[in-house]
Amino acid sequence: MTDSAGTIEIRLEDLSKRFPGQKEPAVESLSMEIPKGEIVILVGPSGCGKTTTMKMINRIIEPTSGRIFLDGEDVTKVNPDHLRRRIGYVIQQIGLFPHQTIAENIATVPKMLDWDKKKIADRVEELLEMVGMDPGQYRDRYPKELSGGQRQRVGVARAMSADPDVMLMDEPFGAIDPITRDRLQNEFLRLQEDIKKTIIFVTHDIDEAIKMGDRIAILKERSQIAQFDTPERILVNPADDFVADFIGRGASLKRLSLSRVRDVELHQWPTAQEGASPDEVRRVLDASDKSAVLLLDSQQRPLRWVNADHLGRADGGHELSKLGLPAEAVVQPNATLSDTLNEMITARYSTAIVVDADRAYQGIVDIDTINETVRTMREAERGRLRPEQTADEEDGQ
Amino acid sequence: MPDTEQSNLDQKTAALVARGAPAGRRRSLLGYLFMPVALGIVLVLVWLSISSRELDAAEQNRLALDYILRMTWAHILLTLASTALVLLIAIPVGIILTRPFARTMTPPAIAFFNIGQAVPTIGLLAIFAIAWQFGFFPTVVALAAYTSLIVVRNTMVGLRQVDASVIESARGMGMTKISVLSRIELPLAVPVIMAGLRTALTINVGTATLGAFIGADCLGRLIVSGFSGNRPYITIIGGILVAVLALLVDYLAGIAEDFLRPKGL
Amino acid sequence: MPDEISWYESFWTYLQFTWQDLAKLALDHAIVVIISVLLSTIIGVALGVLTYRTERPRELTLAVTGTLLTIPSLALFTLLIQLPLLGLGAGSVILALTMYGLLPIVRNTIVGLREVEPAVVESAQGMGMSRGKRLWSIELPLAWPVVLTGVRVSTLLLIGIAAIGAYINGPGLGDEIFSGLAQIGSATALNQVLSGTLGVIVLAILFDLVYVAIFRFTIPKGIR
Repeated sequence: MTDSAGTIEIRLEDLSKRFPGQKEPAVESLSMEIPKGEIVILVGPSGCGKTTTMKMINRIIEPTSGRIFLDGEDVTKVNPDHLRRRIGYVIQQIGLFPHQTIAENIATVPKMLDWDKKKIADRVEELLEMVGMDPGQYRDRYPKELSGGQRQRVGVARAMSADPDVMLMDEPFGAIDPITRDRLQNEFLRLQEDIKKTIIFVTHDIDEAIKMGDRIAILKERSQIAQFDTPERILVNPADDFVADFIGRGASLKRLSLSRVRDVELHQWPTAQEGASPDEVRRVLDASDKSAVLLLDSQQRPLRWVNADHLGRADGGHELSKLGLPAEAVVQPNATLSDTLNEMITARYSTAIVVDADRAYQGIVDIDTINETVRTMREAERGRLRPEQTADEEDGQ
Repeated sequence: MPDTEQSNLDQKTAALVARGAPAGRRRSLLGYLFMPVALGIVLVLVWLSISSRELDAAEQNRLALDYILRMTWAHILLTLASTALVLLIAIPVGIILTRPFARTMTPPAIAFFNIGQAVPTIGLLAIFAIAWQFGFFPTVVALAAYTSLIVVRNTMVGLRQVDASVIESARGMGMTKISVLSRIELPLAVPVIMAGLRTALTINVGTATLGAFIGADCLGRLIVSGFSGNRPYITIIGGILVAVLALLVDYLAGIAEDFLRPKGL
Repeated sequence: MPDEISWYESFWTYLQFTWQDLAKLALDHAIVVIISVLLSTIIGVALGVLTYRTERPRELTLAVTGTLLTIPSLALFTLLIQLPLLGLGAGSVILALTMYGLLPIVRNTIVGLREVEPAVVESAQGMGMSRGKRLWSIELPLAWPVVLTGVRVSTLLLIGIAAIGAYINGPGLGDEIFSGLAQIGSATALNQVLSGTLGVIVLAILFDLVYVAIFRFTIPKGIR
């Protein structure tokens, strides 16, 4: 539990919220520490109180009891308007001001903080570029002229305008089509690599949580924490049945989306150059235990698969380079294992060919590779837990 | 002429103007009782005041109970007659003006009727009196002419805001145009039309007062004769009675609107 | 037997003689209406802003201003002049008109403010805007088209009612109408009544055009 995670940016202490006229509290005695510079996802079934929890951090909803610490300072009772100017806030429906231009929208908080005009204008330009929108084109447009995805980007830019250390995001990508959402998520992750803000992110989609989060808090009713950990650990070791159910089936597959090809040890299948004679290729094939040989060109780029049958036909006078089957499933080292598995399922011999940036052959990912990888992950997890287990056993001695 | 852009904004605000004061919610019992009780108290006070006062000859004349009742009844007749006339004429006109062949005329027509609100009713009454005659009938027609503008506008706005897809699906099911009108469009437009009728009724009862200037019997007579005969007391009583009648009529119309509004809208 | 001239020829001649006086009356009429509309707007918007979020005060305000509008104008005018400080003349007319103009403005202010998208208000709150700044920079500007429509409705209403104010010696074109009424049977009666009535209508059209211009100039492109 005690991971070295830098300083703690936000600390929630026994936070509770009871709405008037409701029997059960929406949030009951929640305590949580959010490390600096990480994306922490609050995820859970609807009604579990995750949005309420997030909205208590900037006191849009005032807590009934408990305390909130921001960078060590108790902000439970400070002036809420001033508090909120230090925190970025993005909600699902975005809420851009329809009667103001994009530039005016983004400039809202800096203006409240009395920045000078030049600084504000520069910041607006900088932010629009950061979210991938041409400032010249979009600065003076109105929200109604923008698409849903564009509005979402402006919403994020607006929340970052005063460069807050903390950002709260409530299902920010929820109301967009899946294609745009995927793109926005990737862009946001790339952005976070540069800006490293502390972000609380609420979603009901476990896949989004796994993709976006450095740490995930899976919440039950009344915002009780079922598990608060990194995505890898949650997937490999769910704390209880609730978490396991919430992850849903395919936890192992989801786990694969977190590893990349470059992280695993590639297998080698037999290869031969395209100019080789059929006899040479047959020799390579017989020497291995695989059923096909991969032909490479002079730059080591994969061309075709040939097996014993194809070789037989080559003897009969057909040229080697025209026989066999095209080598299709090709992946780069930064591809995720789940994407690779996707390629493999429809590929020849259930393999994916790994190439480098010049498309030169590196190795093969086959089903054995996948098996080994998953097995290694599980053993590593158990190995991490094992010292604690043995320590307990010793104590109980 | 006012902006006739078919923007969302225009449609929304047009509907807002037509709808008038928000109605329809069932009020608490206290809400329903307040107005009649308050009005009753006022009437009692008026009666006490008249009984306890030394009336001179002119006042005795005007404030005699049977005179007041006669004027009140005439006033009510004026109101009912003019409103009935409006009902008969304005709604059909409103329907016609929203039919497809008249579609292009609709926005300018609505704008025209909005401006019509500014026509001075006293001028209208005077013109009718000169062109026709004094008395009951010109007053009825003049009142109807004025408040028709409101009801036609409301009818048009109410019919226009019926969702086009609802009409389309009805036609798609094989309904005739008349059927669509009577079974789909009008029922959906009823709340706005009723708001218009209620407003018309309220305005009519108030404007009927001015009939006194063109020789029609009504409570306005008390006000005018008190004013010209320099008997402020008669004027005051007349003014209070007219206000009470108007508030009562509006109250009853409100109840009718609350209860006659179709469920589900 | 004098030559029969048609009523419109008679009217046209009348206009040619009196258009200057009519213009002055129209100006007085306009001024009275403008003053009353301004007062109504200030009070009405204030009432709307104070009550739009709380149910009871809101219903009460709407009920009271609605009741005011139901009181027949002749009654209100003749009752007001009985009060000590007022008496005959422009003062009573302005007071009565201000009272009449309240309902459309209050109602539209309330509806306009309540129709502002909650997400917009919440995002403003989330960015740390104080209540006052939110109201001034976000909610009112967004409600403005609806509020302005209310002011426009009130104006048209008051232009018509102001004519009756002439009965209690109020300024404006109503004077022409009442003069004509008093001399019914004479040659000029119709002319006077017509010029008064049409003058009011022309005034209404002019005011409406001004509102179209105000709409164009004060509503930002983003919400048109």
